[in-house]
Amino acid sequence: MRFLVSILLFLFVFLCPKKLFSQEVSRPTVFTKILQKKTRDFMKEPAFAKAQTFYIDQQWDSTLVYTSKQLNLSTTEKELTNFCHFFRGYAFNDKQIFKEAEKEFNLISEGFAFYGQVKMYLGGIALELQQYEKALGFFEEVDGFSAQELLGIDKNYIEENIGICYLHLEKFDNAEPYLLKSIQYQEKKKDTLQLIGSYGNLANSYYEQYRDAEAIVYFTKAYELSKKVKDFNSKIVTAANMAAIEKNRKDFSKALTYQMEYGQWKDSLNNQANIYKVAQLEKEFAVKQKQKQVSLLQAENKIKVAERNGLLYSALVLLALLGTGLYFYKEKIKSTKIIVAQKEDLDQLNATKDKLFSIVSHDLRSSVNALKTSNANLIATVASKDTDKLNGLLHANSGIVNGAYNLLDNLLNWALLQTKQSYFEITEQKLFFTVEHVAYNYQGLMQEKNIQFENTVSKSAKVYADQESLKIILRNLLDNAIKFSEPERAIKIYTQNSHEDFCDLIIEDTGLGMKESTRLELLKDNALLSKKENENIIGTGLGMQLCRSMIKKNKGAFSIESELGKGTKMIVSLSQIPLNG
Amino acid sequence: MDNINVLIVEDTPAESAALVSVLEASHYTIVGVATTFKDALYLFYNNKVDIAIVDIFLNGSPDGISFAETINAVPNASKPFVFLTSSTDRKIFERAKLTQPFSYLLKPFNELEIQYAIEMAVEKFYVQPDVFLGDEEDTIISDDYLFIKKGKTLKKVQLSDIIYIEVEEKYCNIITEKEKFVILISLTKILKMLDSTLFCRTHRNYIVNTGKILEIIPADNLIIVSGNHKVTLSDTYKDFIKKIRTLK
Repeated sequence: MRFLVSILLFLFVFLCPKKLFSQEVSRPTVFTKILQKKTRDFMKEPAFAKAQTFYIDQQWDSTLVYTSKQLNLSTTEKELTNFCHFFRGYAFNDKQIFKEAEKEFNLISEGFAFYGQVKMYLGGIALELQQYEKALGFFEEVDGFSAQELLGIDKNYIEENIGICYLHLEKFDNAEPYLLKSIQYQEKKKDTLQLIGSYGNLANSYYEQYRDAEAIVYFTKAYELSKKVKDFNSKIVTAANMAAIEKNRKDFSKALTYQMEYGQWKDSLNNQANIYKVAQLEKEFAVKQKQKQVSLLQAENKIKVAERNGLLYSALVLLALLGTGLYFYKEKIKSTKIIVAQKEDLDQLNATKDKLFSIVSHDLRSSVNALKTSNANLIATVASKDTDKLNGLLHANSGIVNGAYNLLDNLLNWALLQTKQSYFEITEQKLFFTVEHVAYNYQGLMQEKNIQFENTVSKSAKVYADQESLKIILRNLLDNAIKFSEPERAIKIYTQNSHEDFCDLIIEDTGLGMKESTRLELLKDNALLSKKENENIIGTGLGMQLCRSMIKKNKGAFSIESELGKGTKMIVSLSQIPLNG
Repeated sequence: MDNINVLIVEDTPAESAALVSVLEASHYTIVGVATTFKDALYLFYNNKVDIAIVDIFLNGSPDGISFAETINAVPNASKPFVFLTSSTDRKIFERAKLTQPFSYLLKPFNELEIQYAIEMAVEKFYVQPDVFLGDEEDTIISDDYLFIKKGKTLKKVQLSDIIYIEVEEKYCNIITEKEKFVILISLTKILKMLDSTLFCRTHRNYIVNTGKILEIIPADNLIIVSGNHKVTLSDTYKDFIKKIRTLK
């Protein structure tokens, strides 16, 4: 008997959660919809909204957190707190913390939308805690509710639970109708597992009342049914029950068979568990092995990637190095080219300068030498007191000195022009007077050669130029004109307007003229004439170069018209309108 | 006509001597040759100087510029001046240029150039360009003098010495106590430049120095001026009598 009871207890423990679970299956469909509808009003509370979502998703921990948050907000809304407590109770129940669940459910006030559910759960909890009287109270209360209030709770479950309660309380008379009803319901539903449980329940009930014949029928029914299912627990329980019955009937051979069967199922359950465990282990092992392989491959991959990246980076670095190297090499070549070009220029300039030096010094030396001999002559003449000859010699001397002075003056101006140290300001110049002033210094020279000089520039002729540089230009051109003119010839200076903005000043002589090549040579930049032809009168070319540079600086133009043997026209074009800067 | 008074500021005796001889040959009066800045100022303020010729460098420092700056600082006392220099050093020139009106002469120079430089300086100073250096006119009018180009030189006539001016086409006969001469100047210019409180037009062709009037005979349309010159008074210009303070 004792043994049987223990089995019965085992049976109930095994059965009760099943009942509750079967309810949950239907929950998402009907229950969730109703829940969502009923809680719509409270969704504006963020904590509650979260709690509700987590509840529907069956994430109990989160549900607990957010409901406690919501409760801490101390809302006065009764229904809202009820929902919170409901969620909490449900969550605790599901986590099998029954005491807490009971507490939460008890906090829910009457009139709550799911009051029926609450009672149902309270009943379930009481059953779990083996407080059968209390459980019976709850179930009976729920049984009294209308279908509307039950909100999808199956009435049969309630009744079955009531039956179970009576069974535990050993009120078999009361239990029987409930259990029978339950069996009928299960048979209708063809839920074999539940049916085995229900048969067991009923059989137990009869057995406790010593109505063995009826009990055996149900036990056998349960046993037969359990053969068809794969559930080991059912097989074990039914087999154990059969063994107990046969033992009580003193039919030991049968009892032994059942007992063995019970043992077999139990073993196979254990075996199954063992096999499952082994399989689990094997699986774990295989997974581990795979994991190892995977990690190995991963590591290999990593190494490969690292290698590839390393190669890539080093290639990039090398490329960059190559690029910069190439760039600098090119730059170097470029700068070398520039330097070489500059060097050539400088060499050329230096050569020109050297040449200039030699010519100038040669000229000066000749002048000074002439002066020296002339002075020696002078001394001799002074002794002889020949005044006419003295006069001639002195004039010759002054001519030599004038030439040397002009050369030095040009040299100085040229140097000043190169170093840009000289004052230079383009202002209005009265050409007539400038020509007069310059020509005044050459009066003696022209008289000597008996050259007729004519300045027909208008007094109103004005150009924009720098005063001193204009004088230097004129001085040189006039000097040349005189130098290259035969005695008794004429030199004319006049203006001519070839262009609206420019005034052409023309220095015309009827002298030697020049060859086309010489003319072109004179107009070329940086051309210094060497002494080739006209040994006595061709100078350094410094004067001409100075003229060209000065005219350029005055933003003017220079040209030469010449015919060999007939004469030369030196044409200086200068601006008639004020120049900027 | 009087000579122009020239002050020379030059520290090299040889050069100042050459300058003096050139200028004296052209009938300029040299009021003095200063060799230092201090001398120059002393001579300038103690003589009636018409023009100063100033060497930029006096004993190695650009005191010539300082002198020009000093005489320019007093507006009514300033006179035309010409810089002399032997170098065209840019820095020095930049400073010299600030002493407007600026004209300079680079050594060595000939007499034409010095003459030209003096004329330029006077033209620039009295802001009457193209007078001496053109063909149209030959006289510049300052507050006190007429500067007249006579041949190669410049002469001056004190305005208060003029008795009357008679206009003949583009010439003007200037009659003073001592002499009578002709200048080239337009009537409009001379009328504009002369002090209208002193000179009055009495006729199309006559301008009279009111200080020199001895007698006005309106009935005969005649004015008797100092030196017993007779000047015609036309009806158009009779109003000028109202401007003259007369004893009635």
